[in-house]
Amino acid sequence: MIFEILTAVYAALVLAYAFWNIKRGSFVVGLGKFVVCAVVAFLALVGVLYFRGNDLWPTALALMKIGAAGVLFAGIPPMIAATIGLFRFGDEYGSNIFYVRNHITGIVDTVSSLVMMVAGLLILRIDLAAVGFFFFMFIPFTGGALANSYYYVNQRRSER
Amino acid sequence: MSETAFLSNLADTAFFWAAFAFMVAATAAGLGAIRVALKGEAITSLMGVSVFTTVTGVSLYLISLPELFNVGFARDTAIALLVVGSIGTIIFARLFRTGDSS
Repeated sequence: MIFEILTAVYAALVLAYAFWNIKRGSFVVGLGKFVVCAVVAFLALVGVLYFRGNDLWPTALALMKIGAAGVLFAGIPPMIAATIGLFRFGDEYGSNIFYVRNHITGIVDTVSSLVMMVAGLLILRIDLAAVGFFFFMFIPFTGGALANSYYYVNQRRSER
Repeated sequence: MSETAFLSNLADTAFFWAAFAFMVAATAAGLGAIRVALKGEAITSLMGVSVFTTVTGVSLYLISLPELFNVGFARDTAIALLVVGSIGTIIFARLFRTGDSS
């Protein structure tokens, strides 16, 4: 039961931080600085636990898996925001609402691929990270092709 | 219980619930994508189906992990959905652009 309680506390902290970022519209702590701080904290924790007599590799793996769980929790708020956006912006906003929806679907694609990449690297599943990376490379082409297609179809329709 | 064992148990629990919650959020986004696909015109539907394949592929890949549900065959389906879905979206968008698809 203690593990579920600690998981709930961890999830609440990560979700609160992710929602804070979304509400602010930019990173609260810059991404580069955040990654450096996370790596330093990870190395310090592993070092402390190692010198307290724990095995190095299982401790590092457990901490990396906790980090992967944090990445998965951090992917939830953008998904919820995208869901609200997909239901919220209907056809009543005119023909250009397509580009808004395109942006929303781009967020879903990006969050999915980033979660796959980072979580795959942290739990040492390289296949998961590789598929996420290949999918990540397709995202701009997919969104661009859809927007380009809609632009020309809309233009043809208005000329008729 | 040693500190490593405690951390390992905590990591397993946290990862399971995190993946589970992420899959629920992805399912909600998939419902939004189905709505977009059903209510929109041709290219909007294509976009909705593209997002639906994405969230389905990611969820299938997560359930195929041995750390979670270990459904091995879901991995191949997930890879096919993610890669072929993206390529198919690009090809069909190109076809809609050049064709008379209004």
